[in-house]
Amino acid sequence: MPTRQSFKSSASASATLPTLRRGSELFETERRLNAVLNNASVAIFLMDDRQHCVYMNRAAELLTGFGLDEVVARDCPLHDIVHHTYPDGRPFPLADCAIDRAFPENNQEKGEEVFVHKDGRFYPVGFTASPIRDDTTKIIGTIIEVRDISEEKAAAERQRLLTNELNHRVKNTLATVQSIAAQTFRGQTDPAVRQVFDARIAALSNAHNVLTDANWESAGLRSVIDRALAPHALAEPDAERFRLTGPDTRLHPKVAVTLSMALHELMTNASKYGALSVPTGRVTLTWTVAHDDSGAEHLGLIWTESGGPSVSEPTRKGFGSRLIERQLPMEFDGSATITYAPTGVVCQIDIPLTALGWHGQDVVAGRSAE
Amino acid sequence: MSVLEGCRVLLVEDESLVAMLAEDMLLDLGCEVVVAMRLDKALAYARTVMFDLAVLDVNLGATSSYPVADLLSTRGIPFLFATGYGTAGLEADYRGVPVMQKPYQRGQMAELLCHLLTCTTIPDKPAAAGALPCLCLTGLKPVGPAQFRAD
Repeated sequence: MPTRQSFKSSASASATLPTLRRGSELFETERRLNAVLNNASVAIFLMDDRQHCVYMNRAAELLTGFGLDEVVARDCPLHDIVHHTYPDGRPFPLADCAIDRAFPENNQEKGEEVFVHKDGRFYPVGFTASPIRDDTTKIIGTIIEVRDISEEKAAAERQRLLTNELNHRVKNTLATVQSIAAQTFRGQTDPAVRQVFDARIAALSNAHNVLTDANWESAGLRSVIDRALAPHALAEPDAERFRLTGPDTRLHPKVAVTLSMALHELMTNASKYGALSVPTGRVTLTWTVAHDDSGAEHLGLIWTESGGPSVSEPTRKGFGSRLIERQLPMEFDGSATITYAPTGVVCQIDIPLTALGWHGQDVVAGRSAE
Repeated sequence: MSVLEGCRVLLVEDESLVAMLAEDMLLDLGCEVVVAMRLDKALAYARTVMFDLAVLDVNLGATSSYPVADLLSTRGIPFLFATGYGTAGLEADYRGVPVMQKPYQRGQMAELLCHLLTCTTIPDKPAAAGALPCLCLTGLKPVGPAQFRAD
């Protein structure tokens, strides 16, 4: 048994309180502390060195369903009163309890657990457990703050269900559009045109896949690029056809979707007329994320085709060049040019990156394809 | 020939692909179109260029096109809102503005724009800030392409 001084049992400790020297400094301090503790909305437990509860505030009584007197009368560790069973019904031994580890392991412990109410129901809680030391810094007990996190858990669950529903609906709606187009234009449209349409819908759908991976908050640049090029890259036996170099970063959802569509158009054009239409052709995609003079972050991306058939300026500009050269700069206040050099198409895109609240924390070193 | 032929229209729409569609519809109706995809650009156009009509997507990413609507109101330029939410999705001050339900449809666009040009409830002179450009459409009749033919 430890020789350290235990807390007094609550019954004897609190019995002396009303009789403390009224008007004295100690009494005033006591009154102030009681006002703080009993009006706090967080449950506060004071534990002795045997993990018995010697004090709990009003919020703690409301939370657990037990009064301080009942808990003291049980004369056992608090764990055995409010935390004795796992939600699946297995008994929860004191030795396995993360909250009580705060005492023997001498460290601040934060976490989530599921408590059992006096009426038998389980409820999720968040806790912070900190050791209490005496004058000689010996640990003589634990103070535990606990709050009911049922509503947070329920809100997180609703959020998860909504996000799943959103993902499902977006994919379903795109599939529905595809089906309506197929039914409407059956037998009336060049199958090649239909194929272009289907590929564009698939590209849009893929762009949304990247967004669903991160709860629609942002998308990883590298995965946007990988997914946009995947339809061609996967069917390609020669891994050297694509050279991708640049750092990963997080993109705003709007940037991710439009950039995905732009890359899809470049890739489609390359496989029809450009470098990817012949076995010797190569596509190099290089990008940088840098700050300009005013401190704004820019994504600079260069698509370069080489080794393909000789290129000449197209007589008619289509969807792809309209999207890239006109819409994309307008949407993001950036710039984009497509140059039809004889050696291969070169596309340069500059997009100021929209600030995401946590941008910078999430920038990871880009993996190079080389 | 449609009354829309040669009309100068400001189109504010922040999604690239959707903007392309709406622009093409307006061009097909014979309009001259200026596209703005960002609030700052839209405000600059609404402040400095004279338009006959405007089509405003309500949600512009994290912001909205209400400031553009206010500017257009003070300049007496009739406009409509385009939104996927319908009238219920508008802020209370703007409930009287004609709403075009997204997705964009040519017939609906033509009908509403023609109405904005010919409606007698629209003040000839610039309205005070916050005033509505058209009061007669609000909730009075279902909007469908059958009632007016723009072409």
